[in-house]
Amino acid sequence: MKKYQLSYIENLKQIMLLSDTASELGLDAEHFLSARQDKRGRISVLVKENTALLRKHLFPLLDDITTASAEDIAALEEFASALTPGNQDVMLAYSIHNALIVYARHYKLRDMLIRELYNTGMALFQLNSLIEVTDPYRYRWKMQMLFGEAAAYIRNYDEIEDPETRGYIHRSMGNLALGYNTRSIESGEKKMQILRRSLQVLTDPVYQQKTPSLPWETYIYKSHQERTTGLSFLRTGMAGARITREVMESAEYVWEKQQEMSRRTGRPLSTRWRVTYNLAQYHCGILTLRQLLTIMEELYMQRDVSDFTDEGNYTNLFLPNIYAEYLSKDSRFKTAKKEVLGHMYRMMLRYVRSVPPEKMTFNFVRNLMNTFINFVEYPDGIRQRDFLLQLVVCRNPETFVYLQMTASAARMLLNRIIDRKPELLCGVLGCADTDEVLASREELAQLAYDCGMFHNIGQLNFARMTTMAGRNWLKEEQDLFQYHVKIGANILKRCESTKLFAGAAEGHHFYYNTLGGYPDDYDPKEHENQAIVDIVSLAAYFNRLLNDTIDYTRPPLPLDAALQKIADKSGTRFSPAIASVFLEMKDELAEYLKDGRLKAYDMALHYLKKEDSLPQ
Amino acid sequence: MKKQEKFTSAWEDAGLPVIVLARTDGGFAPVYQNSAAASLCEDGGSFLTDRVPEEIRARLLGGGPCPVEGDLPFFCRIQGGAYSLVPFSWEGFRVCMLHDVTGYYNENQRILNEAVMANKAKTSFLSEMSHDIRTPMGAIIGMTDIALMQQDNPARVKECLNKIKVASGHMMSLLNEVLDMSRIESGRILLQEEDVDLADLLHEVLTVIRPQTDAGELHFSLKLGEMAEERLRGDSVRLKQICINLLSNAVKFTPAGGDVKMTVEVVPADEPNRVLLRLTVQDNGIGMSEEFLQRIFVAFEREEKSTTSKIQGTGLGMAITKNLVELMGGTISVASRLHEGSRFSVEIPFTASPDHEERYRQALCGRRVLLFCGRRELAEHIRDMLGRLGVSADAADSAEAAVELINEMAFSGGEYFALLTTEKVKGVEMLLFLPQVRQRMGADFPILLLSDSDWSQLEYVYTRAGVDAFIPLPLFRTRLSAGLYAFTEEARQSLSESGGQRWNFHGKRILLAEDNEINREIAMELLGMANLQIETVENGREAVDRFAETSPDYYDMILMDIQMPVMNGLEATRAIRALDCADARDIPIVAMTANAFVEDVKNSLAAGMNAHIAKPLDMNQVYSTLDYFLGRGCR
Repeated sequence: MKKYQLSYIENLKQIMLLSDTASELGLDAEHFLSARQDKRGRISVLVKENTALLRKHLFPLLDDITTASAEDIAALEEFASALTPGNQDVMLAYSIHNALIVYARHYKLRDMLIRELYNTGMALFQLNSLIEVTDPYRYRWKMQMLFGEAAAYIRNYDEIEDPETRGYIHRSMGNLALGYNTRSIESGEKKMQILRRSLQVLTDPVYQQKTPSLPWETYIYKSHQERTTGLSFLRTGMAGARITREVMESAEYVWEKQQEMSRRTGRPLSTRWRVTYNLAQYHCGILTLRQLLTIMEELYMQRDVSDFTDEGNYTNLFLPNIYAEYLSKDSRFKTAKKEVLGHMYRMMLRYVRSVPPEKMTFNFVRNLMNTFINFVEYPDGIRQRDFLLQLVVCRNPETFVYLQMTASAARMLLNRIIDRKPELLCGVLGCADTDEVLASREELAQLAYDCGMFHNIGQLNFARMTTMAGRNWLKEEQDLFQYHVKIGANILKRCESTKLFAGAAEGHHFYYNTLGGYPDDYDPKEHENQAIVDIVSLAAYFNRLLNDTIDYTRPPLPLDAALQKIADKSGTRFSPAIASVFLEMKDELAEYLKDGRLKAYDMALHYLKKEDSLPQ
Repeated sequence: MKKQEKFTSAWEDAGLPVIVLARTDGGFAPVYQNSAAASLCEDGGSFLTDRVPEEIRARLLGGGPCPVEGDLPFFCRIQGGAYSLVPFSWEGFRVCMLHDVTGYYNENQRILNEAVMANKAKTSFLSEMSHDIRTPMGAIIGMTDIALMQQDNPARVKECLNKIKVASGHMMSLLNEVLDMSRIESGRILLQEEDVDLADLLHEVLTVIRPQTDAGELHFSLKLGEMAEERLRGDSVRLKQICINLLSNAVKFTPAGGDVKMTVEVVPADEPNRVLLRLTVQDNGIGMSEEFLQRIFVAFEREEKSTTSKIQGTGLGMAITKNLVELMGGTISVASRLHEGSRFSVEIPFTASPDHEERYRQALCGRRVLLFCGRRELAEHIRDMLGRLGVSADAADSAEAAVELINEMAFSGGEYFALLTTEKVKGVEMLLFLPQVRQRMGADFPILLLSDSDWSQLEYVYTRAGVDAFIPLPLFRTRLSAGLYAFTEEARQSLSESGGQRWNFHGKRILLAEDNEINREIAMELLGMANLQIETVENGREAVDRFAETSPDYYDMILMDIQMPVMNGLEATRAIRALDCADARDIPIVAMTANAFVEDVKNSLAAGMNAHIAKPLDMNQVYSTLDYFLGRGCR
C-alpha cells in the first residue's frame, strides 16, 4: 500500500477509538461534555486529514484511472481490500473497485475485470445490508449486474487459465443469489433457482477436474449455507414443496458438516447452524413450535455475552429476534413466554452496551434493526419506546443529548403555540377546535416531546456513518443517509408505544411547501398530527445548527445566526405560522440553552449508569 | 280634361301599378291610379297618401324638378312584397310606376342581416378579446413592475418572469388565432405538400397536449386504430394544428377529473395509394347546446358566457379547424350533448408516402431485443409490433428482471440486439440504471429510449446516461423499425460508406485544460473526430491566461480538469469568471472529474462551472454535453 493509504487506515482506527465513550462514563456531565468536545475536536482534525489525503492522492488517480501505473493499481487493490473488513470504509472501497472495473475494461484485462466485478458486488452487498429493511431494491439489481457479468464468464471457462479467476466465477455464480431476497415468491424462487444452478456446476466433476486447486468443498458448503436463508421464505408459508425440500437438504448438509468440523477441531457447534437445523426440522413437521422454542431458549442460555464475533452477534442479537418472530405465531406462547422474551431483551440491551465501537459492523446493526422491526411489545412489559431510548443512550449518549434538546425545544414551541395560535393544532390528537386544544395541552406537549425524542431513531442504522465517519461524505452516502427517515418510521409504526411518533420520523426532513426535502413520497395530508411533525422538524433543524455532535465538520452557530436561518426558511422549509412563533421565543431559548445541554448530558449519564432501567 | 283622361286611361293596362300626377298651382296632385295601384290600397284609398312616406310624397308633389330614379331610395313594403317607385315626367304629367322588387329586396335584406350579425359578433369578439388580451397584458405589466421593484430578490424576480412567460404565451396564442383566421378569410393560406410522419406528428401533438391535460387533471388517452400507412403527403403543420385545436378545445371544456380521448386511424381509400385519416376527439366535459352546435364552426362564436366565463379563447379555433380540414379536402362533424360532452370527427384524404419498411424488416428479422417497460399493455403492444418486424422481445418490468434477462442471455451464450426502454419504470432510477447497462453491454450496444416526452428536454441527461437514440410514443411501426435499423450492420456500413459522422461540431473551438499528457492526447483525438478545434493548456493558470489574451467569443467552451498543478480547475474558473472580458461570465466551463465529495460538486458550481463530465471520458457523454452547450452538432 502507498503511504497515504496506510495513513488513511491508521486515522480510521484512531477515529474509531476516539468515538468510544466508555472511558468517560464515570465522569460527571460537565467533565463528560468537556472530554467529548476534546475528542470531537481531535476527530475533526483526523477527518480533515483523511479527506485531504483522498483529495490529494486518491481522487486524482481515480479520475484518471486509465493512466494509472501497474504499481498504483496493485496498491489500490490492496487498499480497497483493507477498507472492507469490519466495514471500515465500504463506500470508499466500492468507489475504488468501480474505478478498477473501468481500468480492467479499458485495457481488456479479463481476469482483473472478473475479480473486480466480484469485489464491487461484495462491497455493494455490504452497503445493501444498511438499507435492505427499507429499500431492498436500491443495490440488488446492481449486485445482480456485477455478479451476473462475472458469472457469465463460465462460458469462457476453458479460455481462462488462472484458477483464482475461475474461483471468482464460481463465487459470483453463487453470490448472484445475494441479489435476491426471500420476501416474495418470485424473488425467493429465483434465488433458489440460482443456487440450484450454482450447486450443479460446483458438484460437476468436469469442472472440479478442470481446476482441482479450488476449494470445492468450501464453495459447496457456502452455497448450502446461503440456501438455508430460504428458511425465511418458508416462514412466510409461500414456499412450494421443491424449495422446502431444498432448504431441508441444505440445512441437513450444513449440519452434518458442522458436526464433522466440531469433531475434527474440538470446537463447539455453531449456535447459528444449530438453530438453522432446528428451524428446518420445525418447518418439515418434525418439531413442534413448543419444542423449537425450547431449543432456542436452551441455545440462548449457552451464549457468551462477551462474544462480539458474528457468532456472538447471532446468539445475543439475532436469536432473540427469531425467537420473537416464532413466538408471535401463536398467542398462547406469546403470553406464556413473556418473561423469557423480556429477559432476552434486557440481556440484549446489556450486550449492545458492551459492544466495542469497532464491532458495530453493518451486520451487527442489521441484526439490531431486525430486532426493532420484529419487536414484541406487551402492555405491561418492555415497551419499544424504552428499549429504543436505552439503545440510543448506551450506544451514543451525544445523540441522546441532541434528541433530548430537540424534544425540549419542540415542547417549548408547542406550549407557546397553544398560547399564541392554538388553532394551528386543531386536528392533532383529534382536537376538533381550540377549546379542545387548550384542554389537551398536557397530552399535546407530551406528544411533541416524544416525537422530538424519537424523530431521528432511524439514524441508529447509520451510526457508523455519523459517529465514526473517517472523512467527509460522498454523494452516495448522503443519499443513503436519507433512508434514516423511512427506517425510523418503519421501526416506530410497528409498536403501540411508538406508532404515534412515526410521522415525525418520516417527515422531519420534508419541506413545509412540499417542494423540497425527503422522502419524495411523504404526503403531509396523510398525517393528522402533521402540525407536530412541523414543530419537530423546526426544533430538530434548530438543534442541528447549534450542535456539532451530529456533524463534526460543521461548526455550531450562535443563537442569532440560527434563528436567522430559520427566518430565511420560513414558508419554504418551515411552516411560516410555526416559525413566526418560534422566532418570538428568542429569550426563552437563550435561557434554555444556558444549561439545557448540560442537563441533557446529565440525563444521558443517568440512564447510562442505570443498567437495568427497563421495566421488569 | 279630355287630354287628362286620354293620358291616364292609357295606363290602365300597363301591367304594373301606375300613379299619375297633374300640375296644379305651384305643384302636382294625384289625378289617377290604375287598378293595379288601387289593389295595393285598402278600401279604395290613395296609394300615394297611404303608402308613400311623407318626405317622398312632398318631393313628388312639389313644384321642383321631377326626382329621378335613384334619388328616391325607397322600397314600399306592401302585402309581403317590396316595390320600387320610379317617377318620370311625360307630357306635363308626372308618372310614378311601381316595380315589384320583392326578390331583390329579400336577398339584400338577407345579406344585410348577415352583415349586421357578423358585425355584432365581431363587436362582441372585440369586446371579449379586449378583455382576453388585457388580462394577460395586465399580468405582464404588473409582474414587470413587481420584478423591477424586487431586483434584489432573485427568487421573486424569477417567479415574476415565469408568470410573465405564461401570460405572454397565452397572448401569443390569442394573436396567432386571430391572424390565422384573417389569413383564412382572405384566402391567403396555402397548404404545403410534404412528407408527414404521423409518428412525429402525434408525438409533437402529445408534447403540447399532455402538459395541458396534466394541468387540468384530466385523463388523456390516445388509441391508434388501423395504420394502413404511417407516412403521408400533406401539410404537417396544419394537420398538427387541427389535432391540437381539437384537443385543446376538449381540454378547455372538460372539468378536472374528466376524460379526453383521441383516436387515430389510417384506412385505405378507394383509389390506389390513397388513404383516409380519421381522427376523433371525445370528451365528457360540459358539452354544447343544440343551438350552439349549429354555430360551433362560425368564427368568433363561443358558447353561453355564463358557463364558460372562466375559459379564455378567441372562439376562432373551431372555425380555423373546419376551414383547414376543408382546405385539405376533408370533412369535420361534431356530436354533443349539454353536460355530457362532445365528440369531433374528422376525415381527411391523403396520398401515402413511400417508406423503407420492407428493407428494415429484412435487416431486423430474427433479432432479439430486451424490452424494459413498466406498463404491461404498452409492452404487449410493442412486442406485437416487433413481432411484425420479425424481432422477438423479452420484456422486463423491473431493474431486477432486466438484469436477470441480461444475465440469462449471457449464460446462454446469446446476446440482445438492443435495449428498448421506456422513460419511466416504477421503482427504477433510470439515470442510475442505464449507465450500468451501458457499462455492462459495451459502447456499441444500442439503447433506445421510448418516450412521449419532448426529446429535446430529455436528450442531455439521457444521452449522458447511455441512451443512443429516441423513439417517440405513441409507437409507430415505421419509427420502431427505422430506430432499430439504424443500428444494424447494414445501416452502419451505409453510414460509414457515405462518410457520415454522428457528431460534427465544425467551426466550434474549445479550450482543454488538462495536466495529464495521455489524457490530453486521448481527448484531442476523440474530440477532433467531431471536427472540433481544440487548443490545450496544462494547468489552470495557463487556461486563465490563454482565455484572457484571446478575443471575445474566440472559444465556445472550456473543458477543465479539476486537479491540476499551479492552479486547480476551481480557482481557474473563478479567475476566468472574474475577468473583465465580454464573454468571461457566459462561456460554458465544464469540469472533468468522476470522484467528488458532496461539497466538491457544490464548490464547482459555486466557482462558476456549468456542468460535470465523468472521467474517464465517455465520448457519448462528452458529445452530448458539447451538444447541450454549443448547440446541435450534426448527426
